[in-house]
Amino acid sequence: MPIIKAEHLKYRYPNTEKLALNDISLEIEKGEFIGIAGRNGAGKSSLGQAINGLVPRFYNGAYGGRVEVNGRLVEETPVEEMCEFVGLIFQNPFNQLSGAAETVFNEVAYGLQNLGTEPEIILSRVEQVLKRLDIWQYRDRNPFELSGGQMQRVAIASILCMEPDIIILDEPTSQLDPQGTEEVFRVVDDLTETGITIIMIEQKLEKLAHYADRIILMSEGRVIDFDTPEKIFSRDDLSEYGIKAPAFTRICREYGLSLPDGTYPVKLEDTKRLFLEKNIRPLKEAGTGALRLNSKAGDTEELFRMDNVDFYYTEGTPIFQKLSLTLNNRPTAIIGQNGAGKTTLVRLLKGLLKPVGGSIYFKNDDISKKTVAMLADKVGYVFQNPDDQIFKYNVLEETMFGPLNIGMSEEKAKEEALKALELMGLKGRESVNPYDLELYERKMTAIASVVAMDTDVIILDEPTIAQDYEGRKLIGDMIRHLSSEGKLVIAILHDMDFVEENFERVIVMAHGRILSEGSAEKVFSEDEVLSEAKLQKPYITALRELLGA
Amino acid sequence: MSNIFKTKLNAATIVLIPACIGINYLGKLFAQFLKLPLWLDCIGTCIGAALGGPVIGGICGAVNNIIYGLTTGDNISLVYALTSLGIGIAVGITARMGFMETFPKSFVCALAGGLAAVIISTPLNVMFWGGTTGNVWGDALFAITQANGMPVVIGSFLDELVVDVPDKILTVIIAFLILKGLPAKLTALYDVNAEIERLD
Amino acid sequence: MSALSLYVDKGSFLNKLHPYTKLLYVFAAILIPLIGGRLLLFPFIILCSLILLVIGRVFRRALPLVAFSFTLIIVIFLIQGLFYHKNENPLFNIWILTFYREGVLYAAGIALNILNMLLSFAVFVLSTSPQDLVEEMEKNGFSPKFGYVINSVFQIVPQMMKTRDTIVDAQRSRGMETEGSLFTRIRAFLPLISPVVMSALINTRERAIALEVRGFGRKNKRSYITDRKKSSADIVISIILAALIIVVSVWRILSCLS
Repeated sequence: MPIIKAEHLKYRYPNTEKLALNDISLEIEKGEFIGIAGRNGAGKSSLGQAINGLVPRFYNGAYGGRVEVNGRLVEETPVEEMCEFVGLIFQNPFNQLSGAAETVFNEVAYGLQNLGTEPEIILSRVEQVLKRLDIWQYRDRNPFELSGGQMQRVAIASILCMEPDIIILDEPTSQLDPQGTEEVFRVVDDLTETGITIIMIEQKLEKLAHYADRIILMSEGRVIDFDTPEKIFSRDDLSEYGIKAPAFTRICREYGLSLPDGTYPVKLEDTKRLFLEKNIRPLKEAGTGALRLNSKAGDTEELFRMDNVDFYYTEGTPIFQKLSLTLNNRPTAIIGQNGAGKTTLVRLLKGLLKPVGGSIYFKNDDISKKTVAMLADKVGYVFQNPDDQIFKYNVLEETMFGPLNIGMSEEKAKEEALKALELMGLKGRESVNPYDLELYERKMTAIASVVAMDTDVIILDEPTIAQDYEGRKLIGDMIRHLSSEGKLVIAILHDMDFVEENFERVIVMAHGRILSEGSAEKVFSEDEVLSEAKLQKPYITALRELLGA
Repeated sequence: MSNIFKTKLNAATIVLIPACIGINYLGKLFAQFLKLPLWLDCIGTCIGAALGGPVIGGICGAVNNIIYGLTTGDNISLVYALTSLGIGIAVGITARMGFMETFPKSFVCALAGGLAAVIISTPLNVMFWGGTTGNVWGDALFAITQANGMPVVIGSFLDELVVDVPDKILTVIIAFLILKGLPAKLTALYDVNAEIERLD
Repeated sequence: MSALSLYVDKGSFLNKLHPYTKLLYVFAAILIPLIGGRLLLFPFIILCSLILLVIGRVFRRALPLVAFSFTLIIVIFLIQGLFYHKNENPLFNIWILTFYREGVLYAAGIALNILNMLLSFAVFVLSTSPQDLVEEMEKNGFSPKFGYVINSVFQIVPQMMKTRDTIVDAQRSRGMETEGSLFTRIRAFLPLISPVVMSALINTRERAIALEVRGFGRKNKRSYITDRKKSSADIVISIILAALIIVVSVWRILSCLS
């Protein structure tokens, strides 16, 4: 008997018109690892939440069909009872902390306490789970003071110790840095060994293909296909559903290397084997499909010059010592682990922080003597979290706020705002309340609201977080567009594939120093620099090297 | 009218309370940062009251002061939990009666909150502080009334009136402006009459 | 340990006492002088609280808690000493101001009461973890939902406060002024508070989900993993405090009757 069985499941959120889930029927067997793929807004999370009963019991709205989990009818079982069988982990690690516990240990115990489990059993289970997820050493720490990856592992531990039959992982790494992502995927590796039924929603398709027995491909609330990863990712129409096949599949397709059943491989081992059998070595450009940009930049006049800049937050613990750097209008990516000084660097450029020693020049003007407001019309800065800035009632007004502040006329501000919104794919959404948008769209709104200020420089802090393939493409196009207008785009990024495809200059930072800089090709070939900065190569570059390019 | 006090005590409304208390703290923090001559420290209570109803509003207010007392070691502000409770309930009731729907109507709500504050605080001020409020302008007024031989209660009432009512009116207006911008997908969670509709 | 709570674990005698015992002390300290009705009782209890603060090694931390009340107390002495409606007998003159005996005594009563309340409460607040108190109350039937509210405030409010500087920076980056005329500053209030309010409210949706999937609001009884029993010191102190309240009450009733 299947552990999950959905029949003609339909669902619509309150105050909306479109069905979020449209006539879904499927069966999942006990112990399967199921992946769900599709663009943002395809209904993936809604489907996940229809399994643990949040849809419809938490949101209300309109519901049709039936879902049975473990023989129970979902819509008739309260979520707080369903949680004994189905665990859910979602994107934002911070919001998953209950807020009720001062220590990691108590946080993880919280769910079991609610279930009324015997204290002795709680103590032993929590200890066991914390050790298994390698967070036992943090047991007395305040969970809110952990890093994202650690928090997310606490969230997984909190669910795991309740010993559910099914675990739903809803993009658990989409808001984490590479190190946190790595930590969480190690835990997922471990989970697959346990035989627990897992349903994973994920944009990192290489990972999904690696784990999943079967993949559900979704679009507009419907299940388009439900099959093995090889079959799903060998489809010719993937781009219609807003996804890009895993790197392995792409490179094999390019060289026409297919498996006996006509599908392309989705895993590293199969790919390697096929290349070896046919004795083929891929070319350097293989698999990227990137449109290398030709900004009119080339090498132009310098915009920023940092001369021997010293900086610290607290005296005695310097962040930068005698840091020098010049920037012209080549699109520039700054990469490095958390704590390398990337954000501090761009905040100095924006004038939000003032150097303790040395000076910073923007077009030969010393900016340490200028206020943030004086620089507002020259240097734009998009903060990482859009929710730190959005406050207007609709997208258009939000986008016009900055332009109006720096003295643009109403008409000019509107014109710039509409242009920026179109660039960020928000045309037609001008009158929507920004908080009715999803996080990935709010990020686009925040970017548009700074682009509209028509500044010479635009600084982006982690623009690709929470974006799917199409969103990343949109941001890439935006960078190219601004560059072609002669503007300088600087971005802090953790997404190496995105860096390789979209930036002409890459700066590698670690411990407040610049380890290397130059073209993406140059930087990503410097193995020593990358290992010192604890960075990984772009997926496709690593794969090409592995295949002997 | 019967469901003015109707309250859902589910996870969604419970987590609203700490968020609203956080908003109270931040209102105060930003008012200080901008050096505004106002407290603006119960915006969250008003938002909680408007979204969750008078019961949630009252809880937001009361818990806010209890926490404030526990975090500043000031148990006299614990007593003023009664005032905050009153503000939350008054705003909650008027909001449920529809006085949060338009900008002009929100003044009724603001007045209700302000008056609740004055009526409850005055006896407390008299009991614990002999009638003063700790606000320079209000206390100057109080001193004048006392010098002219007016009863303590009247003096204290006026003292509280000039201090609290303008602050509460601005607070409710800010709360109104914020509530107007709340997305529908969020407010739907607090709809006490929501039911699941069948699609087949 | 959250930044919001004043509690410090010094491993002291006070820390080890049961939260209820310390609460009873606060009640006794406030009630005894009020029931007794004598000003002289105040200094006695204030001294008691001061000694406890020293024993609990939190005396220094108690000072700022009390300090803020001094300006208020001065204002009270000024207003009541000068204008108290029962003022009759002049006590002393400063410049052209005449302070009256009745008003000064009345003000002294208020001031001592305030000091007493603050100090006895400091004994409790500085030595008791709010989480411990809530847990003990839950074990005695206090609703776990409200227990959650109190605990979560201590965790979530500091996190919200941390966003202050980021929001200020984000809006200034978009050219917003935060200094200048009162009008400019009032206009800046909404762009500053709105983002944090909106994101806090949006986040409540996810946090509610996080709670629901962890069995929040189940009908069954919760279980607790710490076991805090009353020690013999707790019992002895509680009996003494209760006895004192009774003795003062009886004494007051008798003195009223005679």
